[in-house]
Amino acid sequence: MEIRIFVLLPLREYCTMPVASPVVNPRLYRLVRAAVILVLTGVIVAGLLGEIPQLDILEQSARNLYFHVPMWFTLMVATIISAYHSVRYLRSGDRMRDIRAREAAWLALLFGLLGIVTGMVWARFTWYVSSGQWWNFDPKQSMAAVLLLIYGAYFVLRDSIEDPDTKGRIAAVYNLFAVATMPFLLYIIPRQLPSLHPGGEGNPAFSQTDLAPAMRWIFYPSVLGFIGLFWLLYTQRVRLAWVQEQLRDEPEL
Amino acid sequence: MTVCPVRADDASAPRPLQERPDTTAAYDSTWTEQAPAQPPTGMEQVMLSSGKIYVVLAVVLIIWVGLLTILFRTDRKIDRLERRLGDDRSDR
Repeated sequence: MEIRIFVLLPLREYCTMPVASPVVNPRLYRLVRAAVILVLTGVIVAGLLGEIPQLDILEQSARNLYFHVPMWFTLMVATIISAYHSVRYLRSGDRMRDIRAREAAWLALLFGLLGIVTGMVWARFTWYVSSGQWWNFDPKQSMAAVLLLIYGAYFVLRDSIEDPDTKGRIAAVYNLFAVATMPFLLYIIPRQLPSLHPGGEGNPAFSQTDLAPAMRWIFYPSVLGFIGLFWLLYTQRVRLAWVQEQLRDEPEL
Repeated sequence: MTVCPVRADDASAPRPLQERPDTTAAYDSTWTEQAPAQPPTGMEQVMLSSGKIYVVLAVVLIIWVGLLTILFRTDRKIDRLERRLGDDRSDR
């Protein structure tokens, strides 16, 4: 009897959902969280055990495709989400929109840093194994670094302005400039220049001849998994910032 | 003068899986001759061994550390909020 009550109570609590968070639908959040845990665990296991083509130079490091490339897909999604909220902020002046833009851009920067560092390590032991270089000013590397500097400047700009309304407005406009450079710096310019990075000669790098079908079954879930992970972290940070905002508005609390 | 013969058995070996694009074997690249390279030392010795699998380990660890960074930063934000709420309580 004791055990039954113990089991039933959390269940009942689960069915009568708590008061909805003003930031996110908790049911959606839990659903995404469960999916991300499942997918990314599967990606790590399958990514390390799955079959890959036997290629010289790359060898087993081809498995990095499942971990390095999704960083950049996540960055792209994060910057677009950030820019979307900047547009909404400019229209409404709602401070929560500014917070959402800030948090998405912060995570975009983080995923970009992870992408560039993992890329450096990968390249060091494949293309640059004879020269021993960590950084070779490959167009893809350099342009990615420029993009990260542009996003880094977004935070410098934010922190340099005191008044919250001016800060929000100027940062939002700058954020729109930053997102406009993203496709050029990650796609268009590196493809016009000779580069060792796949996708250098104007090809999309994910065509039939570039990516084995067996790898797609791990690669695409990995991209979705990391984007989902970004969304979870982003939502957490926005929820936290919302609580902070409420405390700021109610100094008597 | 020494002549290095190309290993013909590798080059002319039939690749029956090539016609089946749904297997990874169709994407294999097999070089008949490798350029003589300097024996790797130090970190390279580790990273290049076992088919460069340690490069994958390094990449996964970097991402893991990045995710831990977020964990700690979020924790710090929560700490700050808790401390502020604690201060407000004690003021009353």
